[in-house]
Parts: sequence; structure tokens; C-alpha cells
Amino acid sequence: MHKLQITIDGAEFTVEVDDLSATDGFVTAKVNGVPLRVAASSLSTPESIQWAVVDTRAYELQIDHELRWIQSWRGRHQIDVRDLDVRVARPVSTDARIKTPIPGIVVRVLVEVGQEVEAGQPVLVLEAMKMENEIRAARAGRVASLSVRAGQSVRLHDLLAEIA
Amino acid sequence: MFKKILVANRGEIAVRIVRACRDMGIAAVAVYEPDDMGALHVRLADEAHALPAQGDYRSPEAMLAVALRVGVDAVHPGYGIISEHPGFVRACEEAGVAVIGPGSAVLEQVRNKIDTLERVRAAGIPTTRPSSRSFAPDEGEAMLAEATRIGFPLVVKAHAGGHGRGTHVVYDSDTLLAVVKRSSGAAQAFYGDAHIYLEAAMPASRYIEVPVLGDCHGTIVHLGERDGSIQRNTRKVIGESPAPGIDQAQREAIWQTAIQVARLFGICGAATVEFVVDSAGQHHFTEIKPRIQVEHLATEMVTRIDTVREQLRIAAGEPLGYSQEQVRLSGVSIFCRINAEDPWHGYMPSPGQITCFRIPGGPNVRVDTYAYSGSEVPVHYDSLMAKLVVWGTSREECLHRVHRALQEFQINGVQTNLGLLRLIVNDEEFVSGSYTTDSSQRHLIDTPPSDDNLSDIAAVAALAFLARARSASPATPPAFTSGWYRESRRIP
Repeated sequence: MHKLQITIDGAEFTVEVDDLSATDGFVTAKVNGVPLRVAASSLSTPESIQWAVVDTRAYELQIDHELRWIQSWRGRHQIDVRDLDVRVARPVSTDARIKTPIPGIVVRVLVEVGQEVEAGQPVLVLEAMKMENEIRAARAGRVASLSVRAGQSVRLHDLLAEIA
Repeated sequence: MFKKILVANRGEIAVRIVRACRDMGIAAVAVYEPDDMGALHVRLADEAHALPAQGDYRSPEAMLAVALRVGVDAVHPGYGIISEHPGFVRACEEAGVAVIGPGSAVLEQVRNKIDTLERVRAAGIPTTRPSSRSFAPDEGEAMLAEATRIGFPLVVKAHAGGHGRGTHVVYDSDTLLAVVKRSSGAAQAFYGDAHIYLEAAMPASRYIEVPVLGDCHGTIVHLGERDGSIQRNTRKVIGESPAPGIDQAQREAIWQTAIQVARLFGICGAATVEFVVDSAGQHHFTEIKPRIQVEHLATEMVTRIDTVREQLRIAAGEPLGYSQEQVRLSGVSIFCRINAEDPWHGYMPSPGQITCFRIPGGPNVRVDTYAYSGSEVPVHYDSLMAKLVVWGTSREECLHRVHRALQEFQINGVQTNLGLLRLIVNDEEFVSGSYTTDSSQRHLIDTPPSDDNLSDIAAVAALAFLARARSASPATPPAFTSGWYRESRRIP
């Protein structure tokens, strides 16, 4: 028996799942006490879930590998999942390290070491796929280190800067 | 007619050109940069030739070397990349290789956008109001003075380009220089030229473009008009033909002006004449693109004319063989660009491997793409990965069809703008056809979708979470289940 607290676009739901193995292709999940029969494509990773049928309602889905959002064809839902049995809050996604989201070339560095930045402030501009992309600070703080300079090419997940 | 054609491009347009060649029984020769080796256009072509280095899609020398070595009789440069490089086109002409696209003379005329506007205005055609010259990014003082003369709001545009890259609207002088910096940076990245120019903006206007075909015997026809007003992140994402919300008299006036402009520049081949229609209904010439356009599919659906085939025929010297009256415009088409980018994360491009790629089917639905399940969205190139066009006898039918085609389209492994496109085609301004360029400011993605059953989403999220937790801590470590582990413990 698993008990999860799930927040979707600000609304809270308690979901209980007894058994993850499917009967007739369906797993039963109790959402706020109401049982729902759920079938989904390959459950190996969140990204591999491409569709689901809940009772009689069919969904085409795209799910973030970190489970921060679920997209149906109607749009994107922001989600947050907490395991009530584990009682450990998930780390908030405001990592102090800024890493390369896609490989590219650093066009401009917009901050200096020691400078105070706000959450969401552009830190540098990365050129990738013929576009200039602003890389922003995930949280407020002081720039503790800068690992790149303008003109440098960077690989995926390279460390760009750290906010202390 | 040509026997063998070099396709001097990549991605979906290269696939499109290869298809046109094969449909006409012409051999298609593809080229590829080292990192683009398994690309679809390479796999579908009759011959595939490697370019020596990364970046050579843009190298006139490397491209011409292949053309001469293989002995093609024509080159089709598509759009973007090398298509508007006057040096390349001139070198081909001098080497006796036909270029399917504008000649170097036309290219050199229209490449200078400010001169083009002046020439059109001198012919008595109303145009948009540009700055008196282009500016290098460091001419801040001069730009501010010019901006004050033109008046705000105004548009900053890349002087060299034509894909909307570097195009930004500015509302006051405080933000002008910051926007110019961004624009010229984008222009440098995409076109290799950081010069920008300014143009008076027209609020709540429509962006109407008229594709034309001209042969080398004096016949020029238009192929109806398209509306390209729906933009996101300064790029056109949806187009439709015919344009909704303009009446027949306006439509015909715009067509006539387009033909007049095409004659002025001696267009021989495919071109698109672009206009801004102000809120009073007056159309103003803004740019001419003397090449095939990304959105040509929308026009092909309403005219049933294969634009690339016509380009090949015209370049081979054949007459069009039909008059304006014989060009029949029927029904409505809606066109969508599918980009590998995440609109929910500042349109961040999303390269990577495509794990699922299911295209929509059914009547009157067409997808042009270089992608397939298992293929890569390479990191070096533009994010345009697929183009969808649907056709219907009426706009209402077409709206239903684009809605369901976007629902059917499923791409996993990379982020795409499909979710945003679905929101746009359901937006009331789009459905009513009353949209303008101002509609691009509507924030469709900030509010979460309201009509999903959130309990269902919660149930799916729970399963995704639990399945991940289970696979993250399997009962038996994978190393112990492999043959290597068992083998190593076997006593010899």
C-alpha cells in the first residue's frame, strides 16, 4: 500500500495504490477515496508513458523525466509528488549549480563573480540550434563561481556557474 | 529537363526537394556534414556525398566542389543556409550549373532590404517605413536618433535575413539598445551579419504574403495569399490560406500589387511578396523573398500545384503553360511548424533522440519532415523538425481537421511546440479568424489547461512515480543478473 500526495496546478490530491501489478491490464488507484482503473503504456520510466486510459477516458501523454509536469493534448500541468510513507520532502528544484541544458557555445556572460542575482535573472547567453538562449539563475544569491567565458563551447550538463 | 540535381540543403526541405526530383524521374544528389550522416534526405537520395567538415552546408566552395565533381546540371539550394548567398549563386552560374532559385542579379537587388523598399515605393506602391540605412550594433547614438524620427513602436529587423530571426518590436527608447543587442546577436548567429534596420511598427496588423511563380518567358501568376500573423518567439508558427478577415476586393488588390512587385524585380522562379495590412485595411509592401518558402505547403493544398516541380520546370527554361485564370484556388488550408523546442521553458531548443514519432493520417493531412522514430534532432541546426498542413472545403472543416491532426501527432524523446500549437488552434481569436499580429502577445501557456480531469492526471502521476521508484531500486542489482557475473563465478 502506497500513499502519495500529488499537487496538480495547485490542487491537492491524495492517491492510494495497493498493488502496482495490473489485473486485466488495469491498476486501481484511489484518488481522494474514489477508485479509478488506470492502464498505461510501458511504466519503466515516466518518459516512456505515452498514453493512459483512466476508466473509459483515453489520454495521450508526455511526462517529464523528473515528474515536474505532465502534458496532455490540452496543455501542460505542473505537478509535485510526495510519498506520504517516506515523510521526506522532495528537494526543491532550486539547485545552486547552473548546468548546460543543451550543448552549445557561450555567447555572452552577463554576470561577474561576487555579483548578487535574483531568481530568474539571466546569467549568460548560450547559442544552440542557431538560437540565442538565456540561461537564468534558478534562485537568488551571490555568484560564487563562473566556469565558462564567452566564446567557449560547452557540452550537455557542463557546470556553467554556481550561486551561493 | 535536368538529369541530375544537387540538393544543397538539409532537413525537411532537402527531403522535399529529393521527393520532387524522384517524382519527375530526375536523379537527386544529397550532401551531408559529418554529424548529419544518417539524415533522411541522405537516405532517400540517389547519391550521397560527404562534405569535408562541419559547417560546410554554408560553404559555397565545398558545395560547388561536389556539384562539379558529380557533374550535376542544376543545384537546388532550398531556403536558408546557402540559398541567398550571392557569391555561391554567381559561382554556379559561372561554372555553368543552373541554380533553381533566384539568379545572382535578383539576389543582389533584394538582399539590401532598404534599397528594395525604396525601389518599390518609387514605383508608386505603398510600403512600410524603414530607417534610412542599416546599422552596425555599436551605432547606438545614430540608432536612437533615427528611432525618434520614425517614432515608436518600431520593429528591429536583421538586415541580411528573412526567417524572422532577430525581429523584435520595441515600444520605447529605453529598451531600444538592449533589443538591438539581442537582434544583432541573433542575426550574427543565424545569417553571419550583425547589421540591423528599423521599421515603423503597425499595431494590430496582419501579415499577408503572396506566393508567385514567374517563368522566363514573361508569365507571372500568383497562388492566392497566406496569412502569417500568428507568431511565437518572433517566428511564424501557423499560416493559413486564404487569409481570413479580409474581403475579396482587398484580396484582389493585394494579388495585383504582388504581381506588380514581382515584375519589378524580374522574378523568374518561385517568390513570395510580403505585406503588412494595417487596421484600416491598407496593404503595405515590406519584403520579397525570391525563393521557396517554409509555408509553401499551405499554398500547394489550395492550388494543387507542386511548387518545387514548377521551380525545376522554370529553371529548365520551360514556360509555365497556364494563365492566372487557370490557377484555381479551392478550399482552406492551415499550416503548422513543429519545432524541437520547449515553449514552457522560454522556447529552449531541444535536441536529442526521438523515441516516438507518430504522424497524423486520414484524408487531407500532410506532414513534411526529416524525422522518424529513432532519428536524432541534431544540435547544430535549426529547430524546425516537421511541417503539418491540413485542407478542408471550408474553414470550419479545416479547423476541426487541424485540431484532430495535432491531437494525433505524437513526438517523444525531445520537447516540441505541439502543445502550444494545440492551444493556438483552440484559441477564440484563431477560431474566429479575427487575429492580428498583436495576438502573438496572448499568453496561452501561462494558465494550466482547465478541461482535463485532474483526478485522472493524479492517478497517472502516482503510477509514474511508483513505477520509477520501483525501477530505481530493483530487488536484484542488474550486475548480478548479467551473464558476465555468472561467468566470472564459474570455477574453471
